[in-house]
Amino acid sequence: MVQYNFKKITVVPNGKDFVDIILSRTQRQTPTVVHKGYAISRLRQFYMRKVKYTQQNFHEKLSTIIEEFPRLDEIHPFYADLLHVLYNKDHYKLALGQINTARNLISKIAKDYVKLLKYGDSLYRCKSLKVAALGRMCTVIKRIGPSLAYLEQIRQHMARLPSIDPNTRTILICGYPNVGKSSFMNKITRADVDVQPYAFTTKSLFVGHTDYKYLRYQVIDTPGILDRPFEDRNIIEMCSITALAHLRAAVLFFLDISGSCGYSIAQQAALFHSIKSLFMNKPLIIVCNKTDLQPLDGISEEDRKLVTEMKTEAMKTVIGQGGEPENEEGVLLTMSTLTEDGVIAVKNAACERLLNQRVELKKKSKKMNDCRNRFHVALPKPRDQKERPPCIPQAVLEAKTKQAEEEKKRKTEKDLEEENGGAGVYSASLKKNYILASDEWKEDVLPEILDGHNVYDFIDPDILLRLEELEREEGLRQAEEEADDFEMDGEELSPEEQEALAEIRKKKNLLIQQHRMKKSTAESRPVVPRKFDTDRKFTTKRMGRQLSTLGLDPSLAINRARSKSRGRKRERSVERGEADGGDTMDIDGNQESKKLRLRSMSRSRSRSRPPITEVVPGEGLKDSAQKSYSYIETKAPVLWETFHWKDGQALRHEIKLCSGGERSFTFSIFAALMFSDIDVDLVARRLQQLLPLPKTGLPPLPQPTIPTVLKPGLLPPFPSIPNLSSAPKVTLPPLSSFP
Amino acid sequence: MRIEKCWFCSSTVYPGHGIQFVRNDAKIFRFCRSKCHKNFKMKRNPRKVKWTKAYRRLHGKDMTQDSTFEFERKRNRPERYDRNLAENTLKAIKKIDKIRSDRASDHIKNRLKTGKVQRQKEARKQLEQGIHLVKAPLALAQDSSLHLPKIKVNVSQAQTEGNQPMEE
Repeated sequence: MVQYNFKKITVVPNGKDFVDIILSRTQRQTPTVVHKGYAISRLRQFYMRKVKYTQQNFHEKLSTIIEEFPRLDEIHPFYADLLHVLYNKDHYKLALGQINTARNLISKIAKDYVKLLKYGDSLYRCKSLKVAALGRMCTVIKRIGPSLAYLEQIRQHMARLPSIDPNTRTILICGYPNVGKSSFMNKITRADVDVQPYAFTTKSLFVGHTDYKYLRYQVIDTPGILDRPFEDRNIIEMCSITALAHLRAAVLFFLDISGSCGYSIAQQAALFHSIKSLFMNKPLIIVCNKTDLQPLDGISEEDRKLVTEMKTEAMKTVIGQGGEPENEEGVLLTMSTLTEDGVIAVKNAACERLLNQRVELKKKSKKMNDCRNRFHVALPKPRDQKERPPCIPQAVLEAKTKQAEEEKKRKTEKDLEEENGGAGVYSASLKKNYILASDEWKEDVLPEILDGHNVYDFIDPDILLRLEELEREEGLRQAEEEADDFEMDGEELSPEEQEALAEIRKKKNLLIQQHRMKKSTAESRPVVPRKFDTDRKFTTKRMGRQLSTLGLDPSLAINRARSKSRGRKRERSVERGEADGGDTMDIDGNQESKKLRLRSMSRSRSRSRPPITEVVPGEGLKDSAQKSYSYIETKAPVLWETFHWKDGQALRHEIKLCSGGERSFTFSIFAALMFSDIDVDLVARRLQQLLPLPKTGLPPLPQPTIPTVLKPGLLPPFPSIPNLSSAPKVTLPPLSSFP
Repeated sequence: MRIEKCWFCSSTVYPGHGIQFVRNDAKIFRFCRSKCHKNFKMKRNPRKVKWTKAYRRLHGKDMTQDSTFEFERKRNRPERYDRNLAENTLKAIKKIDKIRSDRASDHIKNRLKTGKVQRQKEARKQLEQGIHLVKAPLALAQDSSLHLPKIKVNVSQAQTEGNQPMEE
C-alpha cells in the first residue's frame, strides 16, 4: 500500500548536487583517456558513450523521483486530502510535472547530440559537442532546482506523518482546543502527546493504539477546531477536518463542562452543530470532560439545554445505524482525565460502539454470508427430561469444606511474624519443625569448622569404633618406634667431645684462611720475616697461653726463651710490652727511696728489638735517615699527648707541629723519642743541649754536633745509640723547669 | 561453609580467602593466595614446584598413605543430627589430628635418620683425626680421652687473702 512507503522515498538531491553526482559518475564510470591519434570512429564512440551515459543516469534518477512520490489520485482519499491540506495539491503536481518535463528534455538533448556526434570529424569537434550536450542537460536540471528543493521538503515532512491505517478500527477525538483531548489520549494509549495550557499545543495528528476485547484500536488525536466558516480554517484545523471526513471511525466529541479551556459551552455547542454533518454514519459519543472542576449536574439551564440538544443529535446517529434504541448512557458520558474518573468507561463505550457498527456492516456485506454458510454450531438435543448435573465425588466436596475451615483456623508463620514485630524485627525459627531423636537437640549449634578441618567430613556413625582401632594401632607403632630409637642412641658424641670437635673445626678454618692469605700474597707482596716482628706478636706470654691451651705446662719453655734473649730481667721492672699500653699512675706506689727509683728508671731489655731507625728489609726504605724522616713526617699532624716516663711520671707535652726554629728541632727529637727505645737520660741530655736550663746542678754534658736550627726535611743523621753501660747517671730536674 | 584445599599448594582455604577459577569445562580451581594463582596462570605443574604438598608427597618427603586420611572424606549424604555423635566427632577430630601429625613427623624423622647417622660417623672420625690440633700428644698420652685439655690457672696467695673480708 502506498501510504506505508512515505518513509521509503529516496532523498531528492538539490539541483547542484544532482548535477555533481551525475557528472562525477560519468567521469568515473566511462573511459577517460583519449588521444587525437585514435580512429575517428573510436573518438566518436567515446564521446557518444559519455553523452548517452549521462542521459541515462539523469533519466533513471528523475524516474525514481517521479515514481516514488505518491500520486494523489491513487492513494486513499484521506491521505490525498491530508497531503493536499499540508502541501497544496497543485504545487505538488506542478513540481512533479516539472521533473517529468526535465526528463523528457534531457532525453531529447541527448538524442540530438548523439546524432550530431555521428558526424563529428575531429577530436576537438566531438569533444565540444559532448561538452555542449552535457552543459545543456545540466542547465535543465538547474532550472528545476527549486522544484527539487520543494520536493525534498515534502519528502521530509511526509516521512514524519503518522502511520494511520484508514481501514482499521479507529477512534477519533475532536473538539475545541484545550478541552483535554491529548490528556485523554495519553491516558488510554502509550502515546506521549504534549499537554500544555496554551491552545493549539497539538498541531498535527497523533496516533496511539489501545486494546479492547483482544482487538487493537487506533486512537487519533486531532488538533483543536475552532468555530469558523470552512474557508477560514488554517492548515492545522484542516488536518482534523480531513480526518473526520475520511476516516470511518468512532468519534468522541469532547466538551469542556467547566469552561476552563476558554470557550463556553454555547460556543462548543455551536461548533458541534456546524460539523455535525461530518458525523454521518459514525458512532458518536459526546464526552463531557473536566468534571472534577464542574460536575455535569451543576451547569446552568441553558447549557443543559444545549447539551441535551447535542445528545439528541448523537442519538440520531445511533438510531440511524443499528436500528436499536441504544440506551442513553452510551451517548453522553462524563469523565475527568485528571482524576481518571470515567476514562475507561468512555474508551469502552467508544470501542463497543465502533465494534458493533463494524460487525453490523460486515454482516450485511456479501462476504459474511459466504463465511456463515460454512459454520454450524451443533447443540445436542435433550433425549429425555432427566437432569444430568456434573458429578463431583463426596470426598472432594468434604475436603474442600474442611480446607476452607482450616485456612481460617491455622496460625500461619506470617501471622506469627506480624505478632512479633514485623518483617525486620522477627526472624522465623527454621529449626522449629526439625525431626530429631530428641527434642532438646533442636536448637543445637554444631560448628562447621574445627582446627582447619570440616566437621561434616568426619561425621560417621561408627567413628568411635574406628577411633579405637586407630589408637590401638598407634600404640603398637609407638612401641616399635621407641625400640628403634633405643638402638640408635649409642652413637652420639658427648658434650665435651663436641666441644673438642668445635675447636678442631675452628682451628682448621683458621689454618685454611691463613694459608689462603699466604697463597695470594706470597708473590705480590713481600712479607716481613718473623725475626723482625713489627707488631710484637711473638711474646712469651702468648706462647705460654698457646701451650697451656694445648695442655702442656709452658713454664719451662718460657724460661728457656727468656734466658736466650738479649737482656737480663731485673726485679720490679715492668715489661716492655706493657709500657706503651699500660696507664699506670701509681705515684709512690712501690718505691721507697729515690735511689731505687732512679735505678729502676734504667731499663734493660728483656727482649731484643731493632732500634726504630734501623732499616728492616722489606719495608721499602733506603736508609735509617729516610726511615726516621718518614716517621716524623707521617706522625707530624697528630697531637701527642702523653709522654710516659718510667714509673708513672707522666710528662704531658702537647707538641704541635710548628714551622721553623728551635721548636721544630725539639719536636723532631721528641717525635723520635716517642718511637724509640732510647734511654731517658739520653733524652734529658738532649733537652739540656737544646733548651736554656736553669742551673740545677747538673754536670756539664759533652756538646754534640747537632745544629740548633733545622728545617723539616733536613734531618741530621740520627746519632747512634751510645753504649748504655757508659751512660752517666743523671738526676733529672723537676718538671716545672721545662718550658 | 567449607574449608577447601588450594589446588596448587594444598593448603587450607578458609571462607573469604583466595580466588576460585572456573574453567570452561566446569572444573573449579581454588587458590589460597595470589602466589598460587599466579603460578597456576604461568602453567606451572605443582608436582614440580618444590614448596607444594603435591611435590612433597610425590617425592616421598611427606607421608602419603595412612589410615588417618580415611577419616576425613567428603560425604554427600547428610546424616541426621545426633548430639552424641556430634560430641564424639568433635573429640575424635582432635585425637585423629594428633595421631596424624605424630605419624607425619615420625615419617620425616625416619627419612632424615640415615643422614644423621652418617654425620655422626663423620664427626667422630674428624674428632679422632684432628685431636692433635687442640691437644698436644703429651697431654693425649696422659689423658687418652678425646676432650679438650684442662688449663691450669695459677692463683696467687695474696689475692685469696684479700678476698676473705669481702665474703662476709
